[in-house]
Amino acid sequence: MYYIRKMRSQFNSWALLSVIFSILILLPALLIMVQLFAESNENWEHIKEYMLKNYIVNSVTLVSFTGLFTVLIGVSAAWLVSAYKVPMHRFFKWGLILPLAIPPYIGAYTYHGILNYTGVIQTSLRNQFGIKVDQKFFDIMNIPGAVFIFTMFLYPYVYIITKSFLENQSSSLIENARLLGKGSFMTFIQVVLPVSRAAIVGGVSLVILEVFNDYGVVKYFGIQTFSTAIFQAWFGMGDIYSAIKLAGTLMFIVVLILILEKVIRGRKQYSYSTSKVRPLQPKELKGWKKFAVLSFFLSLFALAFAIPFIQLLHWVYMTYDVILSAAFADLIWNSVFVAAVGSLLIIMVALIIANFSRLSKGWTGKFFSKITVLGYSIPGAVIAIGVLTLFLFLDQKVISLYEWLGLEPTLVLSLSISMLIFAYVVRFLAVGFNSIESGFDKVGTVFTEASRTLGMSVTKTFFKVDIKMIKGAIAGGFILVFVDILKELPLTLILQPFNFYTLATKTFQYASDERIHEASVSSMVIICISALSIFFLHRVLEKEPK
Amino acid sequence: MFVQIKDLTFRYKNSQKPLFENLSLSFKQGEVSVILGESGSGKSTLLRLIAGLEVPSKGSILIDQAVMNDTFRFVQPEKRGVGLVFQDYALFPHMTVEKNIKFGLTKMNRKQKQARMEELLTIVGMEDYASRYPYELSGGQQQRVALARAMAPNPSLIMFDEPFSNLDSKLQLQIRDELQEILKRTGITSIFVTHDEEDARAIGDRIILMNNGKIQDEGRPEMVLQKSKEKLSLAYV
Repeated sequence: MYYIRKMRSQFNSWALLSVIFSILILLPALLIMVQLFAESNENWEHIKEYMLKNYIVNSVTLVSFTGLFTVLIGVSAAWLVSAYKVPMHRFFKWGLILPLAIPPYIGAYTYHGILNYTGVIQTSLRNQFGIKVDQKFFDIMNIPGAVFIFTMFLYPYVYIITKSFLENQSSSLIENARLLGKGSFMTFIQVVLPVSRAAIVGGVSLVILEVFNDYGVVKYFGIQTFSTAIFQAWFGMGDIYSAIKLAGTLMFIVVLILILEKVIRGRKQYSYSTSKVRPLQPKELKGWKKFAVLSFFLSLFALAFAIPFIQLLHWVYMTYDVILSAAFADLIWNSVFVAAVGSLLIIMVALIIANFSRLSKGWTGKFFSKITVLGYSIPGAVIAIGVLTLFLFLDQKVISLYEWLGLEPTLVLSLSISMLIFAYVVRFLAVGFNSIESGFDKVGTVFTEASRTLGMSVTKTFFKVDIKMIKGAIAGGFILVFVDILKELPLTLILQPFNFYTLATKTFQYASDERIHEASVSSMVIICISALSIFFLHRVLEKEPK
Repeated sequence: MFVQIKDLTFRYKNSQKPLFENLSLSFKQGEVSVILGESGSGKSTLLRLIAGLEVPSKGSILIDQAVMNDTFRFVQPEKRGVGLVFQDYALFPHMTVEKNIKFGLTKMNRKQKQARMEELLTIVGMEDYASRYPYELSGGQQQRVALARAMAPNPSLIMFDEPFSNLDSKLQLQIRDELQEILKRTGITSIFVTHDEEDARAIGDRIILMNNGKIQDEGRPEMVLQKSKEKLSLAYV
């Protein structure tokens, strides 16, 4: 009886909508899991026999080394920025996040363009100094090159999370270590590294998911991984079954890694329960130490942002008059349109699920909030295949309906832009959801309760009170999702309707056709919008009192 | 009896032991009752159960003879007609004093709303503050607005969760007297929750002494407090 009554007290349109959205979000992943165990065909046997091992080895190599280097660079940068003061300190604090604005695939073709035979370095060496170099020293289109690219443009994930942990949580521990006579290096090894383990693992798991998700870099560099294999199976062989099998295997590996992350993190959250934490006060550096730290920051910023940015700027200067046309305006319109519609839908779904999840007490709410996170862990190509399977299935139903109605049967859904937007929602819901959930966490439930004792229903309360109190979180979530969709590549490549391109997919097409100069203008638009959003989120919002 | 609680059982989802087990309690119309107890004794939770913000696992609550919840029914908080003044007031920060007070007045036209709002501001002595935002008010002023807001929809029952805990001691006395005066004047049934014996003595017609989710004693303030003092001194002896 109790459960029935409790259910009744919680059952409303919010619960119903949350259930529907969650099922929709789960469906693509479930379809892949089910099909993973379906009977295999000849292609898949061939892939399994001769190629699968290669995919696994390459993917794991890329992930391991990128993980290692991003931790080394991200953590040391985070520690140096939070503990020491050098010239331009305030700039580096958020400037070192900027590389996140450059999607790795853009970084990849830009660096290739800088380093190849006709690139700026070799041309200058030849023309100015008459030096001819051995090509093998300048070839980055291989696994070490890909690791370099991933490290440069993904280390900010580790950097951001570790930095905010160190700045807000660790001041008393670090000051105590100093008082107890530990030098900087020992403090770092004995205190900073262990206490920030959870933060570091959190950051590096984002990096790992991004590397698994990547298609642009590995395809451009000609490295065989799961992503390229999924594309090959679908576009090359038109074999959706093998694509599903590959996607399923990759999903399985990702799930294993997520479990591993939980195990490593364990209960060691090491966060204080009190809100009275003092920020860490950075110490002024002098002499050679100042010089060393400064040059580390400068070279990191140069390699991961300034150099590729300036190179792109030069290419933009060379090609803008050819590229800027009505077609380019269409491209921008397409990108902004799908990103805006996708973000709007995501924010709406996230608001509904987050509101239901915080108001329903017990496991149901938590369960729904966990589901939303799922999509972000699954690589874009995998989601694309899942969504494609779902829509092809639905189209078959629609076709029989059309036949029954005596109309011309066509593929309605799987050729439409709605499929692409639905896939964006599945993939990026977590980004919007996290932002909104933390907004709700900050305001608590007391205002909602006050409103309800004053006679307002859950829904009226939501519109009159809740939504107005988390405006900032909603705006922040929207921006984050918008930029993520704008940069998205693998999923968009698989699901974009015929003759429909976004800035990201056009960039990739130009680069694949070795027209890297032409690719620069759309790259620049993506980078500038991303950089603006980073500036806004990390600089403007950071200044606001919390 | 105006509020009747029968065999109420409630357990927080993350605790093993129920906080209340078969708790029965009632409140008379027009009476000012004070639930007195240490923090963690369950007194605030009892208010939340009466308001409908928590769902009991067993038992029934009746307000003015209407069933609020029993084995089959659960009336949502917005349908209970119960006013609640929260410990930290919970004034909506994005609304002015005027908007806060008008918030619960859903069934009135604009003129009626304005009149009711002005009436309440006069009762709490805040006529000049209608256009201020909550953050522009002092703690005592916020307290008065919270009271006005809770009273605006004319609830049959009004409840206060530690209403004085955020005020400094001088203000506490003043607000307490004012509040008592207002409650007497309006004759509204009210329930206070506090851990402060002095507050309980000063404001209550009746005190309910609560400890660990159980009622230890209830009755007129002097009697209850006298008995608990004797118990305490006995324990010392």
